[in-house]
This record gives sequence, structure tokens and C-alpha cells, in this order.
Amino acid sequence: MVENRPFLTFLAHLVMVLGVLFVAFPVWIAFVASTHEPGTFLSGVVPMLPGKAGWETYRQILFSGVSASGAPPIWLMMKNSLIMALSITVGKITISILSAFAIVYFRFPFRVAAFWLIFITLMLPVEVRIVPTFKVVADLGMLNSYAGLSIPLIASATATFLFRQFFLTIPDELAEAARIDGASPMKFFRDMVLPLSRTNIAALFVILFIYGWNQYVWPMLITTDPDHYTLVMGIKRMVAVADSDPQWNYVMASVVLAMLPPVLVVVGMQRLFVKGLVEQEK
Amino acid sequence: MAQITLSGVKKIYPGGVEAVKGVDLEIAEGEFVVFVGPSGCGKSTLLRMIAGLETVSQGEIRIGDRVVNNVEPADRDIAMVFQNYALYPHMSVRQNLSYGLKNRKMPKEEITRRIDDTARILQITDYLDRKPRALSGGQRQRVAMGRAIVRDPAAFLFDEPLSNLDAKLRLHMRGEIKHLHRRLATTSVYVTHDQLEAMTLADKLVVLNGGRIEQVGKPLDLYRRPASVFVAGFLGAPAMNLLDAHVDGGALHVGDVQILQGVAAQGPVIAGLRPEDVHARVQPGGAFRLEFVEELGGMRLLHGSVEGQRLIIQSPLQAEVGPEMALQIAPEALHLFNVADGMRITNAVRQAPEAADATG
Amino acid sequence: MQTKRMTFRSHWLPYALIAPQLAVTLIFFIWPAAQAIRQSFLREDPFGLSSRFVGLANYTRLLDNPEYLESFRVTVVFSTATAALSMGLALLLALAVDRIIRANQFYTTLVIWPYAVAPAVAGVLWWFMFNPTIGIFTYILEVVGYDWNDRLNSADAMTLVVVAASWKQISYNFLFFVAGLQSIPMSLREAAAIDGAGPVKRFFTVVFPLLSPTTFFLLVVNITYTMFDTFGIVDATTAGGPNRATNILVYKVYQDGFIGLNLGSSAAQSVILMLIVMALTFVQFRWIERRVQY
Repeated sequence: MVENRPFLTFLAHLVMVLGVLFVAFPVWIAFVASTHEPGTFLSGVVPMLPGKAGWETYRQILFSGVSASGAPPIWLMMKNSLIMALSITVGKITISILSAFAIVYFRFPFRVAAFWLIFITLMLPVEVRIVPTFKVVADLGMLNSYAGLSIPLIASATATFLFRQFFLTIPDELAEAARIDGASPMKFFRDMVLPLSRTNIAALFVILFIYGWNQYVWPMLITTDPDHYTLVMGIKRMVAVADSDPQWNYVMASVVLAMLPPVLVVVGMQRLFVKGLVEQEK
Repeated sequence: MAQITLSGVKKIYPGGVEAVKGVDLEIAEGEFVVFVGPSGCGKSTLLRMIAGLETVSQGEIRIGDRVVNNVEPADRDIAMVFQNYALYPHMSVRQNLSYGLKNRKMPKEEITRRIDDTARILQITDYLDRKPRALSGGQRQRVAMGRAIVRDPAAFLFDEPLSNLDAKLRLHMRGEIKHLHRRLATTSVYVTHDQLEAMTLADKLVVLNGGRIEQVGKPLDLYRRPASVFVAGFLGAPAMNLLDAHVDGGALHVGDVQILQGVAAQGPVIAGLRPEDVHARVQPGGAFRLEFVEELGGMRLLHGSVEGQRLIIQSPLQAEVGPEMALQIAPEALHLFNVADGMRITNAVRQAPEAADATG
Repeated sequence: MQTKRMTFRSHWLPYALIAPQLAVTLIFFIWPAAQAIRQSFLREDPFGLSSRFVGLANYTRLLDNPEYLESFRVTVVFSTATAALSMGLALLLALAVDRIIRANQFYTTLVIWPYAVAPAVAGVLWWFMFNPTIGIFTYILEVVGYDWNDRLNSADAMTLVVVAASWKQISYNFLFFVAGLQSIPMSLREAAAIDGAGPVKRFFTVVFPLLSPTTFFLLVVNITYTMFDTFGIVDATTAGGPNRATNILVYKVYQDGFIGLNLGSSAAQSVILMLIVMALTFVQFRWIERRVQY
């Protein structure tokens, strides 16, 4: 701060408080709604303070599911979301770090071509090529499977890029010293590259976990079998109950549960999250 | 320990750039050889070829009796100390030292014994369990050397190991390296761009320029009888004065000023004069025009010109200084070089090996 | 392209290392993209039994189709409004947090977490608050005399998706603005203060110009975000309606492909979208390169 002006500092706090309120308000409303009896929603406006039906609502959607919407119990969808998010995260990190290692630490024919092929995926988000990609997955018989949910999403130019950039900052001499010390390429990878990449891997893990957990359109297309529903897409099914108003308390309880894991990851690993996000663009 | 032989070694990069243009060199067992030259002269490339970190485009490198052109660096029985130390940042000092030994499947007790010995020699025993980032520059430097020593290799390769240290520490570590070499007597190849470091460390000095060897020999021999203008200008600080001159009837002239007589050459030459070999006394109308004086404490440097060419003279404190001075030069202090190729003109003046000392 | 000074030597290892990523890329990225390009030159008969080559007909038809052009317009409005709103609010918050010495970590934590909320979930949240019968904002608007109904009114629907999309993107923009502000040397601001510039003047003459690389970068990222990552928001709130008022390009591709089953047209739309992403990626990449060189 350049000069001490109490008014400006007060203004700064005011702006921040308003910002926090704006950011938090929808979630508060959702939480409040999830704690009220279904009947509350028939009579006008949503209340602003929590009701008493919270435990019952959460218990019911977690373990029994909501019969009217045909959705399975939430814990099952959460499990599917978790499997999908973790598969995507681990898969992306694994294949990216290996290919970045190959691109940086080897010279081989078609190296540049391979790099560009991977780079192109940056330009082809799944939403853009959704119809033909769906067809490929269908032809491979991967509908309604965890493989179908995760594998098509694990190629990532961003992660490969990030690792490549990071590897380029590892001093050349380190690999040379290791080579003189008798380390084979894979030994160098295991003993040097992996331990040195630890923070980068963790930061990517946070970002990619969120990416995987929040997938929406892809699971919607790939799963027709409720056993493979993920939470984020499952909510939409609950909302879209034919011809009647949604059961708001159940929907909002699911919304809260769907937000919880990724939000906890961001808040709990804020430093890594910020690093992962900001470095991605370097 | 082993001797290292380079014959016709060339490095040609893809794209045709020749970084090393044919080097022949014998490095005897136990010898301390220093490659010195300006950046881009090929000294590092040459060292890295010996290490096996660069492929040899042409020619042959032998370590001991073995041609090592296609031998992996790890199997060449060499150890290397890098400019930025290249310590493994996530490993403790002990792990750094043991990594290469473990990779060679050395028994545990032997590894422990060697690390203890090395740590004692280098006085790093107290921080064996620290990570490199918790060490000072000098300590890191020692660990880097320890990693080489612990291997007990046939040869040490040093790639500008002191250039990241401050001046005082550099001087100190230079002494330690010298001391270590005396103690271990391992064949060593050392690369530096610092001519003073090169002069003080080398048994044998190799001056490189543009991918070729300019001159090889004992440091003092190179200092006293530089084979070319390049070597003459590179070794010594302040550098040798190099003047455009011409010889007419045995007399050496710079411009219209006659400097010396009895020179056995003819036509234009380059005259080399070390600042400590030029003597000047105050004389109005003298050829040397003084511009400014640089006080160094024990002596002073006189900066000026002769016939418009820059000349630096090292002068004792008691000598008088004036704006115009006459020059006095002993014939044996003069170095003459061809204008065309910059090579030394031998036997142009009377020279004795101890000449420099006599007139000092 | 850059490698290490020394590289390892092996004839098979690099291929083995890069194979998994290449396989996934080829099967799930390149091949479908190629299919989309091929498909965009074909037209299927109504029963999907055969298809024939029609050249650029799918494209020309698209560009003549008012519905598609309308979708373009909607996308531009949506992108611009979302980028402006979320970047503006994020900059304001970043400036505020930059002034606060104590507790700025605390505020940061409270502001950044919406990044973790799925777009579809963000959509549901705002959809609920603007629900025509029970929504809290609907109620508030009614009190001030505005009759909100995003299911019938196009402008209301657009406002809804813009607010939901901005809400989710604020945290991202905020983090980058904070990083940008921190990279401006304090000495520059102090120099400006000594030169007599007050806080407001300082912002417009010193801080904002120095922030322009960040702003430009975020602009590109936000356009990319609104064009491609907001599918969930649209699907969960308005489903492109009412009367296609929020039918953005990605949503239309999906609708024409899966619901309308018009493969040729959907493929042509895919190809056009790919070209747009390519252009945006290129711009972004140029920016990154410049920054790396600097």
C-alpha cells in the first residue's frame, strides 16, 4: 500500500465482503433449501434460514435415492464421480509426464510431429467434436463403463505442456551428472524427475480432479445405465422430472454434495491449486 | 588413473557448425591439464566429449588403452564436477555422494567407508545429512567435488567449477583443488575461461581458440613465449600491449618513433610488450603520452599512447610520472608476430629463458 | 524444438513412453475430428442408410441459415457480457484484496472456491434462485416491480446464463489479476504517488496499463471459456431457450447432432468451432511465447 488512507482501506474491505457475499449467497440458499420439508416450496418464496428436515433429506438421498426421478442413491453416484475423476486425473498425469519426458530427454525421428499431434488436442475440446467422439466410443463398446467415462478425456496437451516446461527448467547438468553416475533413462526418471516434479504433480492433481469431477456432457452421453451415473449429471436428471416441479430439497441437497468434494480440495490445497492454475498458463 | 589421448577429434553439429576442428592431445597419467580460452572456443565441448556427454564426430578419444568413443559416460571411469554443481536437490549430501556408487552395485560397507573418507578429506562430515539447499556456495562446491572423489575414478573432469563463487572463495577453492590434486594425483582435465586460474592450476596449459589448439605447454613457457598474438593477448593481466609496428633495417618503429634496434625481421609486424617489461622515464617530448594513472597499491599502471596506439605500463611507486615520457625496452622483452597469421616470429631478437627475470 | 543439451540414447524407449498419449490422442481426438471433417462434406438420406458427397453444401446452407447466424449472435452477446462482467468484478475484488494487508489470504480463500463448482451445478444454483415461482431473486425483482420470467423472456434468460457463467469465472479471473497486480513493482506505484498521482489516477495511468497483458490473456481465456465450457450452464438453466435466445454454438452442435440427428450440419458446425478454437489457441500461444521470451 502506498499511502495510508483509512477510507480506502475501509472501501477495500467493503468490496471484499460484498464479493464474498455474492459468491457465497447461491450456496447458502441451496443449503437452506436442502434443509426444508418439500412442502415449504409450494408456498411462495424460499426461506433464508435453515429448516429442520436436513438430516432426513440427506440420509434419504445418500442411501435410498429419490424414487420419483429414478436416480440411484447419491453415494453410488458419488462413487462413480470419484472413480471417474481419479481415473482421469491419474491417467492424464501418467501419460503426460511420460510423453513430456520422451519429448524433452530424447531425440528421435517424428519427435516434433508427435509433439504437434499432442498439441492439436488443445484445439479440440470434447464439446466441439462431441458427435463423432461419441460414435467412436460407442463403436468400441465402451458405453456405460468407467473406461468410456474416463479414457477419452485423459489425453491432455495442457498437462504435457506443463511438464515439458518444467522439465526444461531442470538444469541440464542434473541429467548429465546422473548419467555419469550410471543412471539409465528410466532410473533417472524415477530417481530425479519424479521426485523433482512432486509439487507440479500435486498442483495438477488438484486442477484435474476438479476437471474430472465436474464433467457433465460426457457422462450424460456415455451413461444410460443409472449404475454409472455421475453426480453432476445425475442432478440434471433429478431436475428434469417430467411435468412436475422438481423436489427442491432433494435437488439442493445433491447440489451441496456435488460441490463439497472439489470445493474442499480447493480450500484445503489452496496453495497448490493457485500454483497449478497460474502455472498452467506459463 | 590413466592417460587420456585425443587424436584428430572433431565436433560437427547438425547444420555443419564445427565447434572443435581437429584436436590432438596427450594427457599423461596424473597430470593436471587446463583448457583455457574465450567462450565459444570449444573447450567445454572438448571436455564433454571426453566425458561422453557429446558424441565425437571424427577422431578418437582413448582413456587408458581403451577407445571410448562409443562408451557410455558411466562406463568411462571418469567423474565430473559441473559449473552449477548439479547436486541432486532432493537428496541429502550423503545420498548425493552414494548415488553413483549404488548404481554401480558397490557393497554397502564400501560405500559408507568411501563416503566417510571423502567427507573427512573435504571437511563436509558435519553436513552429510543436509540437503544441498541448506549449504553455502562453498559447501556445495565441496560436495560436488566429493561426488567426484568418492568414485575414485581414472580421471576428474572439471567444467568451470569455480565460476559461480565469489572472488575470495574462488581463490581459496583454487588452493584446495591444487592441494587435492597433489594428494590424490588423479589425472585431471579442467576447463576455465579465467586465465589466472588456468595459470595457477595447470601442469599443462592448453589454450584453445576457435575450436583449435593455439598452444600447449607449461604455463610459464606459454607466458614467456606465446606462440601467437592470441595467446600473447590472452594470458596475463593487464594484457600484453600489442602494437602495429614495422621493422626497417633492423630498427623497430611504431609510427615514426623508433623503439628498438637490432631486430631480425623486415616489414610490418605486431610488437608485443608486457606492461611489466616497459620502462618509462619523464622526458618532455617523449613518445609516450600519459592519459591517466591507475593506482593498484603496490604499483601503478600508466595508461597512455604511443603514436596514437594504446599502451599500458606497469610502474613502481617510486618512479616519477609525467605527461610525456620516454620508453625503455630490453630487446629480450620484445615479442614479434606476423601481421598475416599472427604467429610468433622466432629468433627475431636475442632471447634468453631467464631474460624476463633478469630485467624484471 | 528444444530438448536437453544431452539426450538419452535409445531406439525404442521414447516411442514406448509417448505411445499411450499418442494412442488416446489418435483414437479419441484426431480420428473423431477427421470424421467430423469428412462428415461435413456428406449428406445422409433421411433413414441414415446412405450418404453422398455434397461438397461445401453443408457449410453454405449453415451460413444461409438464419437460425445458425442467430446462434452466432447469441454466442457473441453471451461471451462479451460474461467476459466483461466477470473480469470487471474480478478486477475490482483483486484491487481491493491488493490493498488489504492482513486477512487477504482469508478473503482469497472465500472468493476462489466457485472455481471448483461444476458449470452444470452453478447453472442449477442460479436457476433455482431465479425460479419464476419460488426464486428469491424473482421475489426481490417483483417487489421492485419487475416481472422476471426466464422461461418466456429472452432477455431474462440471457441475463440468467450470463450471471451464472460470470459467477463461476470470477475466481479464475481474480487469481490472475491478483498475480498480475503483485508482479507490478511497488516502486512504480510509489514513484507515481511521489509524482502526485492519487489512487484513482494511479490506477488508470500506471496499474491498469501494466496489467494489460494479464487483461488481454484473460480476455482470450474467457472467450474460450464462454464458448466451450459453458455447455453445462446452458443445459442446466435454459436449455438454449426460450425460442433459441440462449442457443450458443456448442449447444447447437450437440442439439443438432443428438437430438436433431442432422449429422452433416452438426459436423460442419464442429469444423467451424474447431477453426474458432484454433484461432483462439493461436492467439493465446503467441501471447505465451512473447511472455516467455520476455
